[in-house]
Amino acid sequence: MATQLVKCPTCKTTITISGEPGEKINITCSSCNQKGIFTIPTEEPPKTMPGNHATIEVHNLTKTYNDFIAVNNISFDVKKGEIFGFLGPNGAGKTTTIKAMLDLLHADTGTIHLNGINIRTQGKDAKKHVGYMPEKVSFYDNLTALQNMQFYAEMKHVSKEECSPLIKEFGLADAEKKRVGKFSKGMVQRLGMARAILGNPPILILDEPSGGLDPRGVVLIRDKILEMKDKGTTIFVSSHILSEIQEICDRVGIINKGTLVAQDSVEGLSKKLNLKPQITVTVDTLTEKIENAVKKLPGVERVTAQKNTLDILCDGAMKAKVILAITNAGGNIQNLQTKEPTLEEVFMRYTEA
Amino acid sequence: MQANTVISIAKKEIMDNIRNKWIILVSAMFALLTLAVSYFGTLGSTGWQDLGMTISGMTQLGSFLISIVAFMLGYAAIIGEIERSSMSALLSTSTTRFEIVVGKLLGLGAVLCLTILIGYGIAGLVIGANVPNVDVAEYLAFIGLTMLFGVVILSVALCFSTIFSKLSTALGGAIFLWFLFNIILPIVFIGLLATTIDFSSVLNETLVIPDWYYVLSFINPIAVYSSLIGITIGPVQSSIDAGMIPYPSWYSPGLLLGVLVLWIIVFFSVAVWRFQQKDI
Repeated sequence: MATQLVKCPTCKTTITISGEPGEKINITCSSCNQKGIFTIPTEEPPKTMPGNHATIEVHNLTKTYNDFIAVNNISFDVKKGEIFGFLGPNGAGKTTTIKAMLDLLHADTGTIHLNGINIRTQGKDAKKHVGYMPEKVSFYDNLTALQNMQFYAEMKHVSKEECSPLIKEFGLADAEKKRVGKFSKGMVQRLGMARAILGNPPILILDEPSGGLDPRGVVLIRDKILEMKDKGTTIFVSSHILSEIQEICDRVGIINKGTLVAQDSVEGLSKKLNLKPQITVTVDTLTEKIENAVKKLPGVERVTAQKNTLDILCDGAMKAKVILAITNAGGNIQNLQTKEPTLEEVFMRYTEA
Repeated sequence: MQANTVISIAKKEIMDNIRNKWIILVSAMFALLTLAVSYFGTLGSTGWQDLGMTISGMTQLGSFLISIVAFMLGYAAIIGEIERSSMSALLSTSTTRFEIVVGKLLGLGAVLCLTILIGYGIAGLVIGANVPNVDVAEYLAFIGLTMLFGVVILSVALCFSTIFSKLSTALGGAIFLWFLFNIILPIVFIGLLATTIDFSSVLNETLVIPDWYYVLSFINPIAVYSSLIGITIGPVQSSIDAGMIPYPSWYSPGLLLGVLVLWIIVFFSVAVWRFQQKDI
């Protein structure tokens, strides 16, 4: 005997049904008297991955176009509630990977599971767990924003009631009944994000979500991503805005020429590349003696002097020794700042020709 | 396949095209042309013609126009959405490619049928008010068969929309197909016939068109549609000149209807198969 919870298509009341797998049950909604037949599924409903297991699993994915290898045997996992940044130069294979993850294109080899469900063999079930924002966001130009959103609500089998509040959340309340064809690129982009999170999917796949947005729009999208993360959503985001990725992502993957060259946290990747933080010291009067004292310190890689400022590239743990050396050389420190290696540096190093 | 999903896609296609307003223009064009054919239908005569004359005239003109409209509706249905990128958003939902093709065929088919119904319907009302003893059932049968023909061309266009990888190529393909069905194939068929018949039989009025010619005409839906109207609609049959060559006995309305339905099934199946293989 299996028990199933279903929603009345008319009034959305939850109805509990019990029966044997495959059995057809006649049901009547207690609230609106809507009648219908429900078949108890013969298979177990798709299970979501429990705990901290990966909700996105891509293994040995390869996609070729004639002789061109767009994606070459890449594998990565994204854990539940994690934000994973996917970076790479133009044409590196980012969008191909994303499209394969959604079964929009057919991979040559490899397996992809979303929430434990194989996208290739059970695409319809797997996609129930996904919200997607493509790189080029597009809607039906002759329909209004609300009509478009209601159409996607029907496609995602979620309540149309969600559409209007969501449109308002993205600052498009005044444009709700306007044709999307009359929208600016930024407005379309915001509506695209609203469409992606419609129905609160447990997995969000975002391809360049901030492209074409003004700074206010960028902040709006970023805040929404973080809000979704707080709700436990697993987020896979591809972006060219590296500072943004560094700010919001738990881990990043870098793809170059179809190969996944690195995946880790930004700190982890910096360590792997042996990237050093930069200490910037401003003194009253910068003398040659001070500069030489710093240069002589073991572990200091590079010192650049400019007016009263020294830019020192060294290990983070060297800070105390640098301060001591400058003071002993007669320097009076006015300001000291430490800049950790940026994702930009990591990205540039991993995607060098 | 989920019926709700298919209906939603079809509904969206209808809304999208109705808001486009071209449906109103095309309907008006159908109505005006039908009225013009009915009023100025035969050479040297003016005034309202009987229904047979009108339908005969509209079968020719209609097959030209309806095939244009159906190709224009269908050629961009799949590839247009792929190029605009709205297809990837649609396919990221739990919708199957099969449901999308079915929904599009139903939605666009409904738009096309509505256009034909409005255009020919208005014209029918005006003709009915001016011509005595109009057989409404025959006229409705003409409209119904014209709708079926429109859906045949639409399924061909939809199929080609899945085959081509660029919208511009698909447009070129649609234009070529229009010329193929309306101009090239009829010329080829007549040419083939001319090489095989004895011309003296034309003069003796003993010409018999060989069966292979009729079988060959199955590869042109316009020829099938014209024959079907000629055989099926009573007023058209009675308006046909007595000296015209009769159709062979096996060339029945049921067979011709079957051929048109087969056209839809074949091209719809190819469209689904091709779309399943396509990388978006």
